[in-house]
Amino acid sequence: MNQFNNALTLFFSLLVEAIPFLLIGVFFSSALLLFVDERKLIAAVPKQPLLAAFAGSLIGFLFPVCECGNVPVARRLIVQGAPAAMAIGFLLAAPVVNPVVFWATWIAFRDQPEMVFLRVGFSLLIATMIGWVFSTQADLRPLMQPAVARAMPIPKRAAKKTKAPRTKAPQAEETASPLLQSGTFFLGQSDQPLQVDGLGQAALAANPTLSRPIPERLRLMLDNVIQELRELGGILIIGSAIAALVQVSVPRDLILSLGQGPVSSILAMMLLAAVVSICSTVDSFFALSFASTFTTGSLLAFLVFGPMIDLKNFALLLTVFRGRAILYLFVLAGQLTFLLTLLINLYVS
Amino acid sequence: MTVQTNYKTTRRFHPLKSLYRLQGLLDIAAISAWGVLLLQYWLTGKINLLLHPNYVWLAYSAGFVLLGVATVKIAQFIWRVVQLKKRKDRNQGDLLQHLSLFPPGWSSALLLAVALFGLQFTPQPFASQMALDRGVTETLTMTRSQPQAFRTSTKPENRTLIDWIRTLNVYPEPDAYTGQKVNVEGFVLHLPQVPDNYIGIARFVITCCAADAYPVGMPVKLPSGNRSAYQPDKWYRVAGQMITETLADKRQLVIQASKLTEIPTPANPYAS
Repeated sequence: MNQFNNALTLFFSLLVEAIPFLLIGVFFSSALLLFVDERKLIAAVPKQPLLAAFAGSLIGFLFPVCECGNVPVARRLIVQGAPAAMAIGFLLAAPVVNPVVFWATWIAFRDQPEMVFLRVGFSLLIATMIGWVFSTQADLRPLMQPAVARAMPIPKRAAKKTKAPRTKAPQAEETASPLLQSGTFFLGQSDQPLQVDGLGQAALAANPTLSRPIPERLRLMLDNVIQELRELGGILIIGSAIAALVQVSVPRDLILSLGQGPVSSILAMMLLAAVVSICSTVDSFFALSFASTFTTGSLLAFLVFGPMIDLKNFALLLTVFRGRAILYLFVLAGQLTFLLTLLINLYVS
Repeated sequence: MTVQTNYKTTRRFHPLKSLYRLQGLLDIAAISAWGVLLLQYWLTGKINLLLHPNYVWLAYSAGFVLLGVATVKIAQFIWRVVQLKKRKDRNQGDLLQHLSLFPPGWSSALLLAVALFGLQFTPQPFASQMALDRGVTETLTMTRSQPQAFRTSTKPENRTLIDWIRTLNVYPEPDAYTGQKVNVEGFVLHLPQVPDNYIGIARFVITCCAADAYPVGMPVKLPSGNRSAYQPDKWYRVAGQMITETLADKRQLVIQASKLTEIPTPANPYAS
């Protein structure tokens, strides 16, 4: 009974600490989604791939969104012709490289400020590197979901090649009925089954709300706040419950033996990050509950890898990318996170 | 997939509209419940068991904001119901589509249920069992908290338990403190590895919230009798002086108690 009460106390303490940050996060993301025109951003980004990837990674400071908000934004960036490097950099870094997450991590790890900087630094590094890798693919369309690929402008370099037999993807798209597209299964679960995201090219291309009058935008912003709060709140509750249960019910010996090994701790935390899918604005509190038993490197792995790839994110990414591209992202991000945090475990802490 | 079936029937009977309304009501209920919960924890002081005092303002501010959002939504909802009677439904599908992972209503219902449960729930301060589970440390080097402001001028008898741990942390040699006066407060721990005439006096330290609470403590040599007179989790003020002893194969600083006074559990039991 005592154990149960401890678990509940942990559970509510995580929730009570995390909800203010969740609230700040969704307010920011809703406001910016509805008031910022990302086309202007794209125009300002440098053309050189490495710089574009880095610039993309930093855009999170303008769009403080967590990993659920960044996929739609990244998709709009891609559809509007943003360089691959920039879009991928943004996709991977934005959930971490933004002021709200910075603040939340700072509060959680007040006594270890290096955690905050390492988290942001590693995320920037990994996102820039993967963005750079993706920039070698001049035409991103074969990696995209058909609906997104169709809405994308044809890159100049790739346009010359369109007659080449290599690009099979666009042909396949033309024959596919809109109803058969893989993006639709997901939206069948949402409030508005018929307004399938991937279908309306016009809806994809521009932020559809920017043309609305201000009062209407405010109303939409509030609705968006509630939608995100509901969705992320649900996941936060499940995540907190898992954290509390693991802390109280898993034998301490097991946690210690797992959590103190330089390699095992990182792998365990990365797995946990992928499964728990907790929002990046609040995941530092989740990680905090493991701070006394897990290595610093493994906590970093959780904080860096989780926002990039997790189960919830996977479903969201499938609305933009084909499975193959997501696999590349997953493998690259996983390996880089593992290597960097292993370095921390072996040589720093 | 149930949603799809729902949708098929919608075309004729417009249950989609009522689905929206239900979802809207659930949302409002869940958001208000969380607002009330945060404010209730704050007003009843339960929040002290959950959060570091520095961050309590975040929680109650969030409570006010949530209640504000709920109020606006209720006003909107009423307005919309009134308008619906006058003219045909506005286009509901105009919102920027947010991708949702769960069936509608699922998250709101969970949020609402947890909030309602939370309103009934009284958190308990972590106690000795948790401390033993987590392993009481005498040094903070293993853990995370580093002394922010270290004052050597503090008189020994004015040091709290945390001050003592910090002092030891900086200069661990027990002999340096032998004979110094001690006056500390904490809860009783029965450490399994020491003889019967010793107890542990401990406190939990938090830096952010209860999730990162970790125990620190020191052994206390009782003036007389054995530890059965001092129940675990009871709070005591221990007065005495420092001695050096070898306990559980470790030479360490021990409090030789001359007087133990039982005190009530403090409202904010965690040290920070």
